[in-house]
Amino acid sequence: MNSVVEREDIQGRINEIGQADILVGVPSYNNARSIGHVVRAVQAGLAKYFPDRKTVLVNSDGGSKDGTMDVVHTTTIDDFHSILLSHRVESFSKIAIPYHGIPGKGSAFRTIFEIAQALNVKACAVVDSDLRSITPEWIELLITPVMRDGYDYVAPLYHRHKYDGTITNSIVYPLTRALYGKNVRQPIGGDFGFSGKLAGFYLTKDVWETDVARYGIDIWMTTTAIANDFRVCQAFLGAKIHDAKDPGADLSAMLYQVVGATFDLMEEYQSMWKRVSANEAVPVFGFTYEVGLEPVGVNIQRMIDKFTLGAQELAGVWRSILPAETLRFLKRLAHAAPEKFRMPDEIWVDTIYNFALAAHRNALNKEHLLKSLTPLYIGRTASFVIEAWDSSGPEVEEKIDTLCGVYEKFKPSFADRWT
Amino acid sequence: MNFLQRIIIEPFESCYEKFLTFMPNLLTSLALLIIGIVLGGVLRIVFLKIFRAVKLDRAAKRVGLFEMLARGGIKDSFSAFVARLVGWFVVFTFAVVAVQTLKIPTVENLLDRFFLYLPNVFTAVVILLFGYLFGNFFGRAALIASVNAGLRQSGMVGRFVKITIFILSVTMAMEQLGIGRDTVLIAFAIIFGGIVLALAIAFGLGGKDVARNYLKRNISSDDKEDDGTRDDIDPL
Repeated sequence: MNSVVEREDIQGRINEIGQADILVGVPSYNNARSIGHVVRAVQAGLAKYFPDRKTVLVNSDGGSKDGTMDVVHTTTIDDFHSILLSHRVESFSKIAIPYHGIPGKGSAFRTIFEIAQALNVKACAVVDSDLRSITPEWIELLITPVMRDGYDYVAPLYHRHKYDGTITNSIVYPLTRALYGKNVRQPIGGDFGFSGKLAGFYLTKDVWETDVARYGIDIWMTTTAIANDFRVCQAFLGAKIHDAKDPGADLSAMLYQVVGATFDLMEEYQSMWKRVSANEAVPVFGFTYEVGLEPVGVNIQRMIDKFTLGAQELAGVWRSILPAETLRFLKRLAHAAPEKFRMPDEIWVDTIYNFALAAHRNALNKEHLLKSLTPLYIGRTASFVIEAWDSSGPEVEEKIDTLCGVYEKFKPSFADRWT
Repeated sequence: MNFLQRIIIEPFESCYEKFLTFMPNLLTSLALLIIGIVLGGVLRIVFLKIFRAVKLDRAAKRVGLFEMLARGGIKDSFSAFVARLVGWFVVFTFAVVAVQTLKIPTVENLLDRFFLYLPNVFTAVVILLFGYLFGNFFGRAALIASVNAGLRQSGMVGRFVKITIFILSVTMAMEQLGIGRDTVLIAFAIIFGGIVLALAIAFGLGGKDVARNYLKRNISSDDKEDDGTRDDIDPL
């Protein structure tokens, strides 16, 4: 696929702007309802915290049918006096364009990186278009560590409901921490800050026809930054509240893309993660405070039913992936009463490491392998929800920390088996 | 004397002459057979080493060929099995050439007919092999997708897809071999047409209520979610 900046209309717009200091990207697909708020927050954040910088907002759209791009074009802040401390000196521009390539968040980000490179920006940020809790301060928190402190990558840190972010909490965060030794709490948070240099580095990688072009982009950006020794920090953004996910969104496809990208990165950086034996804290910017969170509905019985169905029907597939002992435990668990339904950390970590090894050895078609993980993931989520039913947010964090410890404990034997 | 000459000596001489004519062919034929056996053995070892170097066994395990051989009672690894096939193919080819070298008209005629039919056998074997592989692949894909969709009859769906593809490949293979060409096709059409018709009657006409209850109870476990306890968990 040719670069989006080669398109005549985009080239004209880039020539018009010339060069910029800061770029904020907003990927979107049918987000007309929420993107107006995001655009206003971004514009206010740039005006309030970076009035003397030339700034650009890029909306990279996946072919929305609900007028998302029109909302971006027409949205503006009428009254700056209520939020501004000083008057804007430099210009603010908006570009709203449909991206090309595989439909997905990663392709949208690629377009943002290309425009960032063409405008030679110093710092970039990307924020989701369905956010309801974004404030102008998010822009300051994501951009300032890059502009002022020389960081290359700013990962978000949020307060989330104890049941939210289950792929993050049970797989991606502990695995990334154990493998690469950096304690980045939200590696697939979705809202990031990064330097223009890192955006250029991302573009040197040929990954845009893989799962990175879809939901795999977040873990790919984080891991690429860590594994290539870019300076990484975190910014506390408060609560993350966004529009409800599309109920038609396929969980197994999402899991496949995120975990698939994570496993692919393990192949690419195997020499690096095999050397890592400890983990270190990553600096946090921003003032940490407690926030109220919206309640989350959970149907535990349905989750257990899905796990049980998987254990009954997919045992033949899992047999070529999991050790006999783990498989026996899972079969017993499928017959457990709901109140006794528990998937211990050790079993879960062993499962994930064995799936990673199976992917490494090409034991099965990759899509089949990772999609067969879905019932196990749902079972683990059900177990976690039951376990954390009466726990407070900090207590849940402790449980996640314990899980990270198990990932770290099992890592040496996993690394030995990775040949 | 003349009698003895005609009855015994002349036929014997004639037979001896024929034997003398046949002898070089026989020796050539035996020589070819021995060369074939030796070459077959050598090529089997060479191919085995090549297959192991390119890790053919791993690929075979991945696509389900290893499982297929095990089910068929073959205990060799896939590399060893294919290398053995190569070896036997070489021996067989040399054996055929050796037999042709004998220049026996009846055998030559049979061999001609056999060689004309051989491509059909080869094509049929390839069709069956691909049918088995595709059946396994799509059967497993259907099984995993059905489990993730919460279908209680996932196992049945997976098996149905797998068997359907394999039956289709058997039909195609038999058509290729020219065995009961029309009969097999018609039987295939009747069986599947019958299944579809039976389902239509059962669910559409015969037992509307039963079918509705059945679907509610067994097919869509997701219907049970709409009881006010929907999942709102954001997985990412």
